[in-house]
Amino acid sequence: MLPFSYAARNLFRSKSRLFQTIGGSALVVLLVMSALAINDGMNRVLAASGSPENVILLGAGSEESIQRSEVPERVAGIVEAAVPGISEALGVRAVSSEIHYMNYLSLDDGTRAQAMFRGVTPQALRVHPQVRLMEGAFPSSGQAMAGRLAWRKLGVSEAAMKVGGKVLLDGQEIIISGIFAAPGTVLESEIWLPLGDLRVIAKRETISCVVLRLDDAADFTEVDLFAKQRLDLELAALRESDYYGQLSAFFKPLRIMTWITAGLIAAGAVFGGLNTLYAAFAPRVREMAALQAIGFSRRTLWFSLVQESTMACLAGALLASVAALVLLDGRTVPFSIGTFTLEITPLVAAAGILTGVGLGWIGVIPPTVRCLMPPLPTALRMS
Amino acid sequence: MNETMIHCQAVSKSYKKGNTLVTPLESLDLEVPAGEFLALMGPSGSGKTTLLNLLSGIDSPSSGKLVIHGTELSGLSRRDLTAWRARNVGYIFQLYHLIPVLTAFENVELPLLLSPLSKRDRHARVVAALDLVSLTDRMHHTPSELSGGQEQRVAIARALVADPPLLVADEPTGDLDRESANRILELLQQLARRHGKTIVMVTHDARAAAAADRTLHLEKGVLLENP
Repeated sequence: MLPFSYAARNLFRSKSRLFQTIGGSALVVLLVMSALAINDGMNRVLAASGSPENVILLGAGSEESIQRSEVPERVAGIVEAAVPGISEALGVRAVSSEIHYMNYLSLDDGTRAQAMFRGVTPQALRVHPQVRLMEGAFPSSGQAMAGRLAWRKLGVSEAAMKVGGKVLLDGQEIIISGIFAAPGTVLESEIWLPLGDLRVIAKRETISCVVLRLDDAADFTEVDLFAKQRLDLELAALRESDYYGQLSAFFKPLRIMTWITAGLIAAGAVFGGLNTLYAAFAPRVREMAALQAIGFSRRTLWFSLVQESTMACLAGALLASVAALVLLDGRTVPFSIGTFTLEITPLVAAAGILTGVGLGWIGVIPPTVRCLMPPLPTALRMS
Repeated sequence: MNETMIHCQAVSKSYKKGNTLVTPLESLDLEVPAGEFLALMGPSGSGKTTLLNLLSGIDSPSSGKLVIHGTELSGLSRRDLTAWRARNVGYIFQLYHLIPVLTAFENVELPLLLSPLSKRDRHARVVAALDLVSLTDRMHHTPSELSGGQEQRVAIARALVADPPLLVADEPTGDLDRESANRILELLQQLARRHGKTIVMVTHDARAAAAADRTLHLEKGVLLENP
């Protein structure tokens, strides 16, 4: 066995090569960690946004787009009276009529941005218990309350969406009356308006859906049965968690694109690095041959090269992990229906480190080919 | 009478170079007794280095019988040949081939890492080998901090530290000034005469060859005692 110090000291033989290897490894690991954090963050926010106790009643045939759904407003009253198992507090059953509407809003400075609006009544707070008013008040007519990450989704400054701020929606001036939080869900990227106001602005005679909260998720069958029996209402019942599950599937191509992009850039970095390494190991062909002549086996030398390559790539992985913690962890990323937060979880960090180890193994290919493949008599005479 | 260290019988070596079959050594016979210091001379391309590679187990003959220190080499696999080299051969290169990131001590210690010796025993043997080449005061220096002659002496210490019966040297003085070369040649003579090492040295230099007990000339793959 060659001493570990041989591998360790070899790292510093060419500082430029060391920096290139560490830099390349850090770039690839950072890309992998970013792609994982994006996928994980998007999945997490969509999974957390849907509660299994909540059931959405949509217009039949509109199960894939809540915004296109048309449900008569009277459905809420009928459901409240007819469906058993609905959660109840202080004699009020948790049934919320809602309009989901996506449109551009304008700010005073002329900025236009696409926002997700939800027309609600105070009942919405019963079916979405994760929503907490952080500042200000629930909106009355002419007002709206904004999720605490709405500004991030809109791509505007946080100050633009503070309480007292004004936004324009289809020419109507709306004053921000409050800021709400709904941690880890897409809800906190939305803007909530009184149901009546949004019905007028969206020029709708119907609502998008009725959301009801059950005491027991197993009672979904009762709601489903109701939707199937009341053919006159043309309803479809969907668990809220299933709805967001479908959305998650809808965004799968986006997540795949993230991986493809990261993969392409990483492949470029890896092949560039391999090429550099192949050239960089040229001066060591005779050295490796001399070690073989002394009696070290190719396997021993290969293992030493693995140590050397893995150390360099792990240094890159650690650098990338620190960069990911500093640059990515906690950062919110907007997407079409909300925002999600990037988290460098232990799983993401472990994947990064494993990638570094994997790169170390890939990185050993050039020196192996360059130094250990030529026949020994030839290698001893190579310049 | 000394035992035979090297026994070559009708040894040939051929290899393909493009579409041409090159035969640097053809049906070569050679006997070298243990403890002899043999110099091999010959023009470039005469097959000197090929023969040295065969004798040191770096390469295998295409045909013939090659027995070194009682082991028939032609039948050994590459792995067995590597293990055999570690026990039986010390190789001295023209350009020393010291590992630049290791100190003189660590370079000399390398062959011992293949043996089951304890760290203390290894240390004692490295110091003894460096003492033999008068370089104990430089043991913590890296090759870049040594002169060419000193580097070659470290390489000799590395070649003999595992106490192999056979030392092979490929132009060991080819890159040295006359004074350093003489010192290396004296050292090799001393290793053969006092320590009983069998030495095969390839050289272009007649003065270097004069230090050997016997000189053989290789011409187009054929050995001649008196050309």
